[in-house]
Amino acid sequence: MTVTAFKLHPLRLLVAAITLLCLAMASTADAQSSVRPPEGAVDSPGITAPLGEASDADIWRQLKYGGTEPPPVVGDNPILEVPGRPQNVFEALMEEIRPSETVNVTSSSGQPRVMQVLGEEWRLLRREIILPYAGWILVTVLGVIALFGIVRGRIKIRGGRSGKYIPRFSMAHRIAHWFLASSFILMAISGLVILLGRTVLVPIIGKEANAVLTSAMLQGHNLFGPVFILSLLIVIFKFMKGNFFQWADAKWIIKGGGLLGGHASSHHYNFGEKTWYWIVVIVGLIMSATGMLLLFPWVTEVLAWHQLSTVLHAGGAILMISIAMGHAYIGSIGMEGSLDSMLRGEVDENWAKEHHDLWYEEVTGKKASHDEDESAPGAATAEGSA
Amino acid sequence: MTFLEFTEGPMFYFAAALFVVAGLWRLVGIVRLGKKPDLAPARGSAATGFLKGNLRHFFPRGLFAQRTWMHLLGGYGFHLGLFVLFFFAAPHIAFIEKFTGLSWPALPRWGFIIAAEIAFAGLIVLWVRRFSDPVMRLISDWDDHVGTWLTFIVMLTGCLALQEAHDSLRAIHMLSVNIWLIYFPFSRLMHAFTFFLSRGATGANYGRKGMNP
Ligand code: HEM
Repeated sequence: MTVTAFKLHPLRLLVAAITLLCLAMASTADAQSSVRPPEGAVDSPGITAPLGEASDADIWRQLKYGGTEPPPVVGDNPILEVPGRPQNVFEALMEEIRPSETVNVTSSSGQPRVMQVLGEEWRLLRREIILPYAGWILVTVLGVIALFGIVRGRIKIRGGRSGKYIPRFSMAHRIAHWFLASSFILMAISGLVILLGRTVLVPIIGKEANAVLTSAMLQGHNLFGPVFILSLLIVIFKFMKGNFFQWADAKWIIKGGGLLGGHASSHHYNFGEKTWYWIVVIVGLIMSATGMLLLFPWVTEVLAWHQLSTVLHAGGAILMISIAMGHAYIGSIGMEGSLDSMLRGEVDENWAKEHHDLWYEEVTGKKASHDEDESAPGAATAEGSA
Repeated sequence: MTFLEFTEGPMFYFAAALFVVAGLWRLVGIVRLGKKPDLAPARGSAATGFLKGNLRHFFPRGLFAQRTWMHLLGGYGFHLGLFVLFFFAAPHIAFIEKFTGLSWPALPRWGFIIAAEIAFAGLIVLWVRRFSDPVMRLISDWDDHVGTWLTFIVMLTGCLALQEAHDSLRAIHMLSVNIWLIYFPFSRLMHAFTFFLSRGATGANYGRKGMNP
């Protein structure tokens, strides 16, 4: 070891001196802060600690939610779990409708906050819940229908066709039904591409092709929307008669629509069909209203309405498409004789006796016997929502 | 040459030429068929009958109107909507101007969209009637369905290209237009030009017999 190793080189001395000088300047600046907040700025409530002492997460939370106490962190995502504050689009909307006393213009939800986080919550809801689950729900429903089809097979008319037909739906009923079904299918396909294109199609067809396809589907979806609404309104009015709750429906529910054994009587529509009708009415109208708001966004400036609309629109779509797939299955290949009612407007007498006995008795004045049902308790009729 | 240039260029010229030539061929052929000489003395004017026959068929008879109101609305909605969207959409007028130099005022975008929606609603109603009415089902053949679907596809691809941002969408629309033009003269789509002949022939027949209603 030589002495030269410990010699202070002039260059090293210079570096050390500059470093010390910088440190000294930094500490002076900290002590008598020359960084002033802009004129008119107010301290964020709760942020009392000098910058750097509180954690970034606390600061952001307080900027977003206000309040003097740091919000409790529960689970992984404190943003969505702050008690007393709007936690999601729905709550924010309720505040919008009935604003709290401390209304402040700094947020679109009417809450006194420095930052507006509703967009982030909505984005998370869409990205973390709607997008990943929507596709899987549909795939699962398809799987369940396929499984039901394999296990149960085609539900045959007991005793076969009689060859005699009774009128069930008028021409106007049938046109209305298929008009709605067609416009619904157009809306469903275009809507699903818009909703799931990025997650499902991009890995398969690439970004470019997906961009072109999405542009096309968006135009189609926007254009067919009003056509769907028109067809929906026609169906609502044409099919309302006979779709209200009747005493026989209670018995139908208790017997599980015939699945739990024995015959489940029904009038023109069974309880499953009635439920489908009212889902079409309620969810269809919600879809229409939210869709129109998304089409004409300037109707309201309240952001939460738009966010709620997208959430309800997507949720309603998945619900309706799921049930429509089941309905289409049981109304066609799933049950012998069903489709006749919507293609010919009339159904086989034996089909009517088996599935809509009370209606059969009303229109024919004859008695529908169910002798076979007692002798074959296992042979359930499984009257879905055809 | 891009695909769009091909569909708007050589392919379009071919399709349009075939449409005109074959369409004229059929029309002239029908007119040249003539009719058997009618030896009975005329009791009224065949020409007036021709005209009346054409006009009268635009209005349904009372009883039929009640029974077929959806079909009636669908029929009028589709044809009028298609007429408006074909002749008054700005992109269509621009396209026609490119070839003929002719131009006229276009509908605002919202007007064109509403016309398209009415046309779509009408076409869907007409098509679903075709398969949900047993009689219609019996008298419809593949030509009826192909004609309907081709027309639907032309309208659909047009509306899908509404953003006017992607050449490929425009090319797909033009491709379907060309196929439609080629199919047209050989199918029942020709009724767009022959309807007045058949209605007129019936009207003239009755008119000559003095049975003008
Ligand atoms: C595309 C496939 C479809 C098929 C094969 C189909 C088949 C049928 C059949 C056979 C019926 C008559 C059932 C009976 O006689 O009791 C019916 C009724 C009905 N369908 Fe469809 N349908 C389809 C799509 C749709 C869609 C997409 C919707 C609505 C968005 C819909 C809404 C209705 C309604 C509201 C009824 C009246 C019965 C009731 O009150 O529940 N259908 N369908």
